[in-house]
Parts: sequence; structure tokens; C-alpha cells
Amino acid sequence: MTVKNFIKKIFFIEILKGLALTLSRLFSHAVTIQYPDERRPIAPGFRGQHALAKHPQTGEAKCTGCGLCETVCPSKCIHVFREKGQVARYEIELLRCIYCAFCMEVCPYGAVVLTENYEYSDYSKDNLYMTREKLLRNWDKYMSGKKGEEYFARFWRPKSEDLETTPNQPVFRGRKR
Amino acid sequence: MITTEGLINFGINVVIITIKIAIVLGVTLLHVAYATYFERKVIGHMQVRLGPMRVGPHGLLQPIADGVKLFFKEDVIPENADKVVFYLAPVIFMAAAMVNLSVIPFSYNFVIADINIGLLFVFAIAGLGVYGIFISGWASNSKYAFIGGLRSSAQVISYEIAMGLSLVGVMIMAGSLNLTDIVIAQQNSIFGIFAIPQIVAFVVFVIAAIAETNRTPFDLPEAESELVAGYFVEYSSFRFALFFLGEYIAMFIMSSLGAICFLGGWTLPWYITRVLPFLSYVPPVFWFLIKVYFFIFFYYWIRATVPRYRYDQLMAIGWKILIPVALANIVITGLVKIIL
Repeated sequence: MTVKNFIKKIFFIEILKGLALTLSRLFSHAVTIQYPDERRPIAPGFRGQHALAKHPQTGEAKCTGCGLCETVCPSKCIHVFREKGQVARYEIELLRCIYCAFCMEVCPYGAVVLTENYEYSDYSKDNLYMTREKLLRNWDKYMSGKKGEEYFARFWRPKSEDLETTPNQPVFRGRKR
Repeated sequence: MITTEGLINFGINVVIITIKIAIVLGVTLLHVAYATYFERKVIGHMQVRLGPMRVGPHGLLQPIADGVKLFFKEDVIPENADKVVFYLAPVIFMAAAMVNLSVIPFSYNFVIADINIGLLFVFAIAGLGVYGIFISGWASNSKYAFIGGLRSSAQVISYEIAMGLSLVGVMIMAGSLNLTDIVIAQQNSIFGIFAIPQIVAFVVFVIAAIAETNRTPFDLPEAESELVAGYFVEYSSFRFALFFLGEYIAMFIMSSLGAICFLGGWTLPWYITRVLPFLSYVPPVFWFLIKVYFFIFFYYWIRATVPRYRYDQLMAIGWKILIPVALANIVITGLVKIIL
């Protein structure tokens, strides 16, 4: 044992260093967030519970029932049913959803979106089975007004809008009215 | 010969002592309640957490909630436990811790029993406390409790030697075993406190005191990660609370022993009162409590810093380092005492 090591040992240098560290931590600010009283700030683009977007002018659901979201969903938790050209049922099983937001990205109208709500724990499975009415209600609750528009501009804008074709390329541009 | 005057004096003495006991017990139990709160807060903040916050403002009523919880819990007794001994163990442990309070001088003349062998008495009763631990380990009829009990008895007995030897230096310097006399001897000494001339003994005492009260880093008897809770693993409800109380009172006893024997008890060193004379107007019990709480804080601080030792390391530290060092300290102190 060298002299240095010996001195280190008899004066508890290492332990004193540790004590100094813990003492400095004693006066530092605690990182705890006391959840029901304090909340973490939600980052923009947060992927929480789902909602069905309403059209700002007409106030009706943007969803046309094309079924792209149902197809793309990796956990197969979205079910869309059409009857007579109308969306009859639009259902999301929250307990199976993995919040990948593929449905939101694939939607050509920005109709199905993810809100900032993450506090929806419940005792019954039925309450976590989202029907069309519940999803529309979610829109009114969390995304109506300015917030929805801002989110639409920043996150939900259909990706197809970014894709342009050259004017001379023959493409289907919709039925002329 | 019994006279009326003698009887009246006796009666007055009894009343005074009873009041003192009531004050000491009340204050100690309140202290224990808030020592747990203090510990959780200190350790919490050292780990960059908040500690208890929900019950009352800043969790100040947490100890009361804990007490109520412990009181109303179901009292489970293992089927194969030795019932009588099982009932007896926590009482022995708690009583051994409580009895020590009687010889601790909190302030000048404020001591329940001012006996001449105060220091020896504390050792003897602290040694008795091991019976509580060991009996509880045996009576529970559980392997974890038994191993905890065995470890505790071996540990407390080994460290009691180191602690006793470390205090011999203090006895030599003070020339007395009476705790009040030890404090007064420090007041009259050059340094004002024995921690300066007896620094080696002080370090040995602090380490041995941690081991003696089964606190981290020497908490092998209750080693949470391997023995669940050690010797009191089968206890629940209020019997568990008795062990808990006993442990914290034992901590208080060891802290006050350290404050009395090394830091001058309720007195301040003469050089401090000379520089800041207004400090002598503060009631002496305040200084005593400050020193005790410094020790208790130090216990928590160590707990938040140092991980648990291995059992052979613990024994090696006790027998190969602390005891020889304490013995050497006694020899040197004795030689200095003879020469001067």
C-alpha cells in the first residue's frame, strides 16, 4: 500500500467525497413533479387520445369513411363501417392502439387526429371503446377553435397536399362539374 | 427513622421525578415521530426527490398518519412462532432503549437519575437490547428473521467493545463515569470539547455507534435487499411499531451519548462564549439538542451516501481496525494523563 493510499484510507477521503456530493444534492432542486397538482408541459404534436375532426365551417365530421386508417393501422384497432355512402360507424379500440399516429398521417383530409389528452384511465373496458360520437365529442373538448387549426397547420395537414404533379402529366383531376 | 418532613421531601422528589419522566417520554416519542419525517425528507432531498408531501403542508402530518396506520393494521402472528417469546421480544427491545433515557443529562440538573456509573449503565442496557433483537429472530421461526437476529447479536457485541474502548479515553480525561461530570469536565478543559483531544476515539465512536444501532452502512441485521426486513420480518402492526420506536430511540441515545461525551453536552466551549457572549443567554438544553440533531442528521447523511458493507468486511473493520485503534488511543491518553 502506497503512502497516498494509506492517507486516503485513514482520512476517509472517498467517503468524504461521497458525503460532499450528497450534501450538495440536499440543497439542489428536486426533480419531482407532484402529478395531480403539477403537470408536465405537453410538447406540441403530442399523441394522446383520438378525436374525429369537425369541419370549421359546417361543423360536421371531415371523415368520409375511406378506410385508409383502418388499412394502415398496425394494431388493427380502427373499424370503419359504411352504409349507403355514409359513415355508419367509426370505432377505435383504445386499449389496442399503440399511438403510432399512422392513421393521422395517412388521412387525406386530416379527419382523424390525436389530441393532447392523456388522462382517460377508466375502470371499464366499454368506456375505452371509442365510438364516433365520443370521438366527435373529444374534438369539441380538446381541439375546437384555434388550437385545432394550429395543429392542423403544423401536424395534421394531409401529406398528399405536398405532392404536386407537373401540369403536362396526364393524371386524374377529378370529375368536372 | 421516618419523619413527616422526610416523607414530604420524599413525596416532592417523587412528583418532580414523575414530571421529569413524563416530559422526557413525551418529548422523546414526539421526537421519534418527527425523526422519521426528518429522515424521509433529508434522504428524499439528497436523492433529489421531495419526500413526504401529501399529508398536511409539506407532509408535516405524515408521522401521525403512519402511527394511525400502524395502530389499525392487522396483528399477524406466525402459526409456528413461540408465542410468549414472540410477544416479549419487542417489549424488551423497546424497554432497553427507553431505560437509557433515564441517565441522559439533557441540561444542567435535568436528568432523571444522576447515577455515578451512567456511562456503564448505558452500555449495559444497550447490550440488553440485543436480547430483544435475538429473541425476536428466534421466536419468529423464520429463516430470514433468524439470520437477522444472529447477525445483529454478533455485530452489536463486537462493536460494543470498540465503542466501550473508545469511550475509555473520555473516562480517563474526565476522571468519572457520571455523564454530568463528564460534561462539566469538558467545560473546564482547555479545548472545551473532548472531540478535539480525543479525535481518534470520536471517529471510532461514531462508526461504532452506527453499527450499534444497526443503521446503514452496517444495517446487515435488517438488510432489506437480502433479508427483507431482518429480525422483525414476521412482526406487524403495533409490535412492528415498537421495534421501530426502539430503533429510533436507540439512535437518539447514541447521538446524545456522542454529544455528551465528545461535544460538551449542553455547554458551549469557553472560546465561543468569549467571542459571542450573548450565546450564554440561550437555554442550555438548546445546545444539547442542536448537537444531538447534528448527530442524527449525520446518521441520515451517511445512510444516503454509503452502501452496505459485506458481513466479513463489517467484522474486519470492527476487530482488526477499530478495536486496535481504540486500544492505542487508550494507551496514549493514559500516558499523556500521567506525564501532564
